[in-house]
Amino acid sequence: MSQAHSQSSGAPILHGAGVLREVEPAVLPRPKLVENDRSFAWITDKVMGIIEGPTPRWWWWSMAVAVFVASFTVMGLAYLVSTGTGTWGLANPVNWGWAIVNFVFWIGIGHAGTLISAILCLLRQKWRTSVNRAAEAMTIFAVVCAGLFPVFHTGRVWFALYPGFLFPFPNSNGIWPNFHSPLEWDVFAISTYGTVSALFWYVGLLPDLATARDRFFVAGRMMRAKIYGFFAMGWRGSNRHWSNYEMAYLLLAGLSTPLVLSVHTIVSFDFAVSLVPGWHTTIFPPYFVAGAIFSGFGMVLTLMLPLRSIYRMNDLITQYHIDCMCKITLATGTMVGYAYAMEFFIAWYSANPFEGFAFINRAFGHYAWAYWTMISCNVITPQLFWFRKVRENTALVWVLSIFVNVGMWFERFVITVTSLARDFLPSSWGYYSPTVVDIFTYFGTFGVFSVLFLLFVRFVPLMAVAEIKAVTPQADAHAGHGHGEAHH
Amino acid sequence: MSASHAATVSHAPAEQPRLVNPIVPLGVGAAGILLTLVGAFMASSPEATTRVGYSWLIGMTFWTGLSIGILLLVQIHHIFDAGWSTIIRRTHEHWLAVFFPLALLFAPLVVLVWMHPGFIWKWTDIAQVGGDILYTKKSGFLSRGAFTGFTIAFFGVWIWLSYRLRKASFAQDVDGSADHTRANRVTAAYGIPATALSLTFAAFYWLMSLEYHWFSTMYGVWFFASCIRGALALTTLLCIYLVSRGILAGIFRKAHLLNLGNLMLAFTVFWAYITFSQYFLIWNANIPEETFWYNIRETGNWWNVGLILIFGHFLLPFLFFLQHPLKKKNGSMIFICTWILAIILLDFFYNILPAIKVDGAHGDPVNFHVTPWDVTALVGIGGVCFWAFFNSYAKQRCIPVRDPRIVESLHLHE
Repeated sequence: MSQAHSQSSGAPILHGAGVLREVEPAVLPRPKLVENDRSFAWITDKVMGIIEGPTPRWWWWSMAVAVFVASFTVMGLAYLVSTGTGTWGLANPVNWGWAIVNFVFWIGIGHAGTLISAILCLLRQKWRTSVNRAAEAMTIFAVVCAGLFPVFHTGRVWFALYPGFLFPFPNSNGIWPNFHSPLEWDVFAISTYGTVSALFWYVGLLPDLATARDRFFVAGRMMRAKIYGFFAMGWRGSNRHWSNYEMAYLLLAGLSTPLVLSVHTIVSFDFAVSLVPGWHTTIFPPYFVAGAIFSGFGMVLTLMLPLRSIYRMNDLITQYHIDCMCKITLATGTMVGYAYAMEFFIAWYSANPFEGFAFINRAFGHYAWAYWTMISCNVITPQLFWFRKVRENTALVWVLSIFVNVGMWFERFVITVTSLARDFLPSSWGYYSPTVVDIFTYFGTFGVFSVLFLLFVRFVPLMAVAEIKAVTPQADAHAGHGHGEAHH
Repeated sequence: MSASHAATVSHAPAEQPRLVNPIVPLGVGAAGILLTLVGAFMASSPEATTRVGYSWLIGMTFWTGLSIGILLLVQIHHIFDAGWSTIIRRTHEHWLAVFFPLALLFAPLVVLVWMHPGFIWKWTDIAQVGGDILYTKKSGFLSRGAFTGFTIAFFGVWIWLSYRLRKASFAQDVDGSADHTRANRVTAAYGIPATALSLTFAAFYWLMSLEYHWFSTMYGVWFFASCIRGALALTTLLCIYLVSRGILAGIFRKAHLLNLGNLMLAFTVFWAYITFSQYFLIWNANIPEETFWYNIRETGNWWNVGLILIFGHFLLPFLFFLQHPLKKKNGSMIFICTWILAIILLDFFYNILPAIKVDGAHGDPVNFHVTPWDVTALVGIGGVCFWAFFNSYAKQRCIPVRDPRIVESLHLHE
C-alpha cells in the first residue's frame, strides 16, 4: 500500500516528509521592489525631499493651468445654479446625461486606490507599497469630483445639503428621501466610502507625517514641524504604536474591501434596477466593479508615470510595478470585454426585441462612434499589454493609459445615453448633445482633481516610506535563506 | 540546500505515508455507475428514467464544477506568481487528471441528446419546441449540433490546459528548469480567459438552457463562484486527508489551512454577492420573462430549499470563516468544507431539478427530493475522479520539489 520509495533504492521519494530531502528549488528570483539596493536613508531622503525642497517651477505652472481649468467647473456650476438645470443638455427622452456619466466616471477612477490599498494589502501583494499612497489620494480627490454632479444636479443645490433631503432627518414636514431609489443608496454608499477611504489614507500617513515632523524639526523649520506634528497625532514609532497601527490598517483594509465593491455595485444598480433595455441586466454589479478598477488603474498609470520621471523615482516605481499595473489593466479590461460580450449575447439569446435592438443600436446606430470608441479603448487597447515590449515602453504605457480613461468615460456615456435616446417609443426618440455648460463643468473637474493632486504631491509624502522600507531586502530577516524580495 | 532545508521544515511523524490504492475508488465508482445504469433501465416509467438522467447531470455538474474550480486555482497560482500555495498546487495538479474521464462520463448525456431528444433538455426535441418563437429565435445556439460541438470543445479546453500544466510541473521535478514555471505562466495567461469562456457557455448549455426561456448575464459568473468555492473546500479536505495519511505530514501546515479558510471567506462573500445581485435585479425589475425562474422555485418545498441556501450557503460559512481559530482546526474545517460541498450540491439541485415539471410540460416543478440514483451517480462519477486523482498521486511527487517558490510555501507562517 505504501507509495513511498526508499531513497537508497535510487527511485525518487514521492510522498511523506522524506520528499523534503529532494527539495531543490529552481532559480527564478523574484523582482526587486526597490532597485539598486537603496538604503533606508536614501528612501527617506528621496520621498521627503519632495516636500522639503523648494517648490519646483513646473509645479507652479501646473498649478496655474489646473486652477484655470478648474475655473471652468466653477463657471459651469455658477451658471447652472443661477439659471437652472435647463442649461444642461437634458431633454426628453434623455433625462440622464453628462452629470451621471461624469459622476460614474470619477467614482470609478477612485476604485483603484482602494483596490491597491485594501485588496492588495489583504492579498499580501507587496508591490503596492510604492503606489498605494498616491492611488489613495487619487481615490479621495476622485470622490470629490464625483460628488459635485449628484449634488449640483438638484439645481437648487442648497436643498441637497439641507438635512432631510438627501440625508434622512426627522422633520416637521414629514418629507423623507425616497429609500426605494438607488440614487438614495448612492448617498449612503459614497459618503461611507469617502469617509473610510479618507480615514484609511490618513491612518497610513501617520508614520510618514511624523517623519516629516522630525526632519523639519531637525532642520529648524519649526512652523512646518508643528503643522506636521499636529497631523502626526503624537506618533513616536513605539512598538505599541506600530502594533496598533498594523491592526487598524488591517481592519480598515477589511472594511474597505466590501465597501469598494458595494459602491460601484450600487452605482450599477442606478441603471440595472430599471426596466430600460441595455440597463436591466444581471451582470451589471461585477461588470461595473471590474470597469471601475480598470479605469482606476488607467488613471494611476496616467498620474504616476510622469511623477516617476519628474522625481527620478525609477528605483522605487520599478518596471515590475509598471508591469503589475499593466497586467491588472489587461485583466480588468478583458473582464469588461467579457461583460460586453455577455450583454450582447444574452440580448440576442433572450429573444427580447427591445434588448436586441438596444445593443444593435449601440453598435450600429447614431451613437456607433461612441460605442466603437469604447470598444477600441477598453477591450482592444489593453490587449497591447500582453507584450513585454509595450509594457517596457513607458511613454507608450502612458498614452495607452489615457486611452483607458477615455474609453471608460465613453462606456458610461454609451450605457446612459444610447438606451435613453432610443427607448420603447420611436415617436419619442431623440439625440442627446451636451451644452457648453455641461462641457465646462466636466472639463473643469480635471482642474479640480489636478489642483488637489498637486497640493498632495507638494505637501504630503508621495509614497509610504515606512512601508517601502519594509519590502527592501535589508528588512527581510530571512533574506539570506532563499526568500525572495517580493513575497506573494 | 536541500538537506539542510529539509531539516528545518520537517516535523513529520516517522511512520510511512500510506496512499489509497486507486483501485478502491475505481471499484466504488464502477459500482455507482453500474447501479445508476440499473436504475435507468429498471425505471418504472419514462419520467422515472428521465429523473435518473437528471441525477447524472447533477453528478456531472458537481464534479466537473469542482474540477473547473481547481483548474482555475492552478492557473491563478501561476499568473500571480504565488508562493504560499506551491505545495497545494501539486495536489491540484493531481486532481486535474480527472478531465478526460469526466469527458467520457459526460458522453452519455450527449448521446441522449441525439438518441432521445427532449430527454433532459426540452429544446433538443425540435418537434416539441419548433413552434415556440422563443426557441426559434435562439435555435442557432440551442441546436443539438452546437451543443455537441461546444461540449467537446469545453472538455477539449480543460483537458488541454490540464495536460499542459501537469506536464510542465512534473517535468520540473526532474530537470529543475525554471522554464517550466515560465511556460505555465504563459499557459495560465491564455488559459484563464479560455476557462472563463468555456465554463460560462457550459453553464448556459448544461444548466441555464434547461429552462430555455430564461436568461441571465450573471449566470456564468454564478457558476464560476460555485466552482471556486467547491474547489477550495475540496482542496482543504484533500489536504487534511493527505496529512492524516502521512503524505503531506510536516508539509501542509496550519498556515496553509488558514489561508485556504481566508480564501473561502472571500469566495463565500463573492458567491453571496453574485447570487444576491442576480436575484435582486430580477425581483426588482419584476419582468415575467425573468421572474418565472424564481417563481417556480417558490412553489412546493423549493421555498424551503431557497431559505436553506440563503442561510446555509452564505450565512453559516460566513460567520464560521470570520472566526480565526476555527480556520486553523482540522475538525472544524472538515465540518465546514463538507457542509459547503453538500450545500453546493443542493444549489445544483436547486438550479437543475425544477426543470422537471409535474405535468411534464409547463406546470409546477416537481418537489425537491433525493433519489437513490442521485447518490449512485454522485458516488459513481466521484469514484472515477478519485481513481484518476490517486492514480496520478501514485506516480508523481506530492509536492513540486523543484519549483522556484517551494521554499516560500514550506516556510509559510501566519
